[in-house]
Amino acid sequence: MSQQLVQLIVSGLAVGAVYALVGLAFILVNEATGVVNFATGQFVMVGCFVAVTTVVQMQLPLAAAYPLALTAMAFFGAIFYAIVFRPLQDRAVVTVIIGTVMIGIVIQNASLITWGSVPFRPRSPFGRQVVDVFGAAISAHALFVIAVAFLMIGLLYVLIYRTSVGARMRAVAQDRDAARLMGIGVDRMFVLTWVIAGLLTGTAGILVGPMWFADVNMGDPIALKAFAAIIIGGFSSVPGAILGGVLVGLAEMLGAAYVSSTYKDGIVFLIMILFLLVRPQGIFGERIGERA
Amino acid sequence: MLAVDRLTVAYGAIGALHGVSLEVAKGEVVALLGANGAGKTTLLRTISGLLKAKEGVIAFDGSPLGRSSAESRVRRGLAHVPEGRRIFPGLTVLENLDVATTVWKRRGMSAAADLDTVFALFPRLRERAGQLGWSLSGGEQQMLAIGRALMARPKMLLLDEPSLGLAPRLSEEVYRRIADINGKGVTVLLVEQNTVLALEVAHRAYVIENGHIVLEGPARELADHPRVREAYLGA
Repeated sequence: MSQQLVQLIVSGLAVGAVYALVGLAFILVNEATGVVNFATGQFVMVGCFVAVTTVVQMQLPLAAAYPLALTAMAFFGAIFYAIVFRPLQDRAVVTVIIGTVMIGIVIQNASLITWGSVPFRPRSPFGRQVVDVFGAAISAHALFVIAVAFLMIGLLYVLIYRTSVGARMRAVAQDRDAARLMGIGVDRMFVLTWVIAGLLTGTAGILVGPMWFADVNMGDPIALKAFAAIIIGGFSSVPGAILGGVLVGLAEMLGAAYVSSTYKDGIVFLIMILFLLVRPQGIFGERIGERA
Repeated sequence: MLAVDRLTVAYGAIGALHGVSLEVAKGEVVALLGANGAGKTTLLRTISGLLKAKEGVIAFDGSPLGRSSAESRVRRGLAHVPEGRRIFPGLTVLENLDVATTVWKRRGMSAAADLDTVFALFPRLRERAGQLGWSLSGGEQQMLAIGRALMARPKMLLLDEPSLGLAPRLSEEVYRRIADINGKGVTVLLVEQNTVLALEVAHRAYVIENGHIVLEGPARELADHPRVREAYLGA
């Protein structure tokens, strides 16, 4: 394998792992509440900038800066639920969608006021270090991104499918009234859902910072790719989000190198449109009618 | 155990219950009979806190429930097995049972004894423990719905049409189990269209029509009441 191909695959996997994290945040909220959070991209942007504050502005050691940023994002998720989502949640779906889009714009502009319009480039814990992989020089940060993203995904899987809190979260997602009748605190489960969404997007934001620039407009492109990833993977499927994210990341990197770097986003969305035409339920999705 | 006093519930402008009063004493099985749309399910949903009453008071275990949430009513010992069972389709049988222990289970506590009780009542559930909810038959789903409610350690069970959609032999089986559960000291209020079956197990019964209680009395007397015989027993 050529060196360049190995480099492209690794960076595609790294970018894809970030999309997978963001895609999982989309799915988690959508499954629990039945609504897509269109402010998800802004969550990633805020996560990235909170890390800018703890890493660049406060000059904290990374072992303190990252956990602090993630804690802030957990609170951000909970607060978003309390002041944005909770008042909206019993309204019509369109109201919720427009509400989250609108709040996303507010968050974006509040961030512009807070952090300014000049992009930051937070440093990676590994600096510019490179590692030899199959004879190719690979950025250590890319490997770090892949490892952290998959660690987060693993933890999420264990929480949701292997603990009783996870079973309660799934119960709320499957039948909210029945969950109430079993004494499950539905509100508490929703708070938890949004805290996890904050942690997933926060992790994504922290990881992309050193790869790209931290810029207040960075959220929407990432969210759109993550959205493409879950459409390709199957909208409510956890393995689908992971596979979809990786496919989008690889398509973007390989497309940019071998087809056209100008149209790399176009290539991703073209694949998404093909999926919508040929297999709208995605790779792991099921048609609505097949649901038991 | 349960006292409902002049309860009025409406869906928008349409009244569903008009000043309904009923009482269930500790240890009793009380049946609520009536046709489709009479207000039976509305009454149960209001008692368990899914619907808000316009007027009237519901007292449980000596104190009024007020506007407390459905979750807090489960904590106080009121478990509702809803119409259509509403088991969690994507959870296994074991997970379905486990999530209902939320109200009492704290770190380090075990639900093993509760599980044994449920499996003793419904041995089929033990065989199906690892299966997902949607893959169960109608009868098994009903058993799971009742078993799940028991996992909350209720003082009182509200059962909405436990025999709906079940073959006669399965219905009888389910009703025998309801009698067993009552024998363990759990008070039961059940809503049922299968009047014969309900009156066999119940101590007392109420008949509800168009949101009004029209008859009440011991189950045996109601079974012989001409109005009940004509309207609900097809005699």
